[in-house]
Amino acid sequence: MRGALLAAAGGAMGGAGGPLARTIRAKLTAALQPTHLEVRDDSPRHGGPPGAETHFGVLVVSGRFEGLPLLQRHRLVHEALRAELAGPLHALQVIARTPQQWQSDPQAPPAPPCLGGSKR
Amino acid sequence: MRAAVRTGWRIGAAAALRGRAGRPLSQAAGESGGAEGGGGSGSREAVERLVREHPVVVFMKGSPAQPLCGFSNAVVQILRLHGVEDYRAHDVLQDPDLRQGIKNYSNWPTIPQVYLNGEFVGGCDILLQMHQNGDLVEELKKLGIRSALLDAEKDQEKK
Repeated sequence: MRGALLAAAGGAMGGAGGPLARTIRAKLTAALQPTHLEVRDDSPRHGGPPGAETHFGVLVVSGRFEGLPLLQRHRLVHEALRAELAGPLHALQVIARTPQQWQSDPQAPPAPPCLGGSKR
Repeated sequence: MRAAVRTGWRIGAAAALRGRAGRPLSQAAGESGGAEGGGGSGSREAVERLVREHPVVVFMKGSPAQPLCGFSNAVVQILRLHGVEDYRAHDVLQDPDLRQGIKNYSNWPTIPQVYLNGEFVGGCDILLQMHQNGDLVEELKKLGIRSALLDAEKDQEKK
């Protein structure tokens, strides 16, 4: 039922995604001015109903990452999504590349399959 | 089946240094999960002791024999590829205090978390990239661990 409500409220059909997806997109855009950004709701693959919006994957291409080691890049992403991570966002896969890196390898690995997590 | 091992923690041996494990010194310690203080399994002292226990320490969901999360499983599989089977793994699903405490300690919001030589290196995504770009072989070498992938390459050359 919750999934249906979220779908109705957030317009889950179409590219925009649900409300959390849009929030994530907006915050990452504001914080990192990405040249390329993909926000993927992986929740259905983790047992949630459609539109659950608990597990996300983000691919962020930004010049802000230049010269930063991976750990610092991921911390920047987490910082932008601090409120969400303290709340409904249960898991977040992050790919953080500089524009140069993205240009030389414009692919992202898929998320690992879910194995049940804490539902067991 | 929760292991409620709260007794016996001895605080004091290793003073937890602020700024350890990748947390910038300039960053205010704004987070205060309920796990801190007192000497519970999620306190800084307890976590500090765990991350220093072994060159390779992993905080995950489930165990290496039976991971309960795809991201945790990815970490286990990557370590296995490099021939790293001897490491400390802590199942945060068994200990909610530790689950929150480890996130406070590293200022990192998710599990799994990988520590090499007591230092936080990242989660599953970072470990995967380190594996792909050769950094993991180098980091293991610094710990005196020879990655199995080096031997695999050698075998290839012999053929």
